[in-house]
Amino acid sequence: MAVTVRIPTPLRRLTQNQAEVEAEGDTIESLIENLEASYPGLKERICDESGNVRRFVNIYLNDEDIRFLDGSATAVNDGDDISIIPAIAGGSSDGERD
Amino acid sequence: MVKETEVLELRTETLNQIYAHAKVEFPDECCGIILSDGTREFVRECRNIQNERHAEDPDTYPRDARTAYLIDPNDLIRVHKEAETQNRPIKALYHSHPNHDAYFSDKDKADATAWDEPVYPGAAYIVISIYDREVKATKAFAWNETDMDFEEVPIEVNHET
Repeated sequence: MAVTVRIPTPLRRLTQNQAEVEAEGDTIESLIENLEASYPGLKERICDESGNVRRFVNIYLNDEDIRFLDGSATAVNDGDDISIIPAIAGGSSDGERD
Repeated sequence: MVKETEVLELRTETLNQIYAHAKVEFPDECCGIILSDGTREFVRECRNIQNERHAEDPDTYPRDARTAYLIDPNDLIRVHKEAETQNRPIKALYHSHPNHDAYFSDKDKADATAWDEPVYPGAAYIVISIYDREVKATKAFAWNETDMDFEEVPIEVNHET
């Protein structure tokens, strides 16, 4: 399954500055493995040590956040459009650190 | 390399819009994205989903929206698509600090950085201090490539209409 993946600016150093790359996989998880094979270093930035997608990384399948689909197990089909977009968050100095 | 922001120029109308947003959301933090095609600026208010995440998973998200923000992922993709298809790159990200001053907190900095670098390298971060629904101060911060840190950049108001 060949799909197009949008790479966020800070990770383009790993994709020879390409904003969009082609990747293959039946699920988001296998797609990430395929990306890692082509662009070493991508996986450890997208996923934590346990292999889960990091909290501050949003992955979208055709504009749907995969958290609301099947997460990493979300099925990917030929021609799907995948975007990796870092979350935007912050806050003032009160409250516990999170 | 991304050009360093030395001064953040913003239109009066843009500031008025983000101040209005900060007032509406008070005492919660407001958040949003400012796009620009080089001439015009487009304020895209986003939903702060911190309260929902805090309610679902307080261990991971110990703060509520009074002291934290997280842009709704649905708003985020929508604004990214607009930026891309309409050729309106992200100029700045804004949020408010209700009952707090306009500083770039440790949390702001931590969340704006990943993989030891800024996650939105070309964008300035605008922080609005609002007390009792009155905007008290506004400051902007941008990544400085030389110092490898976020630093305050002056806001220059563009009064042209």
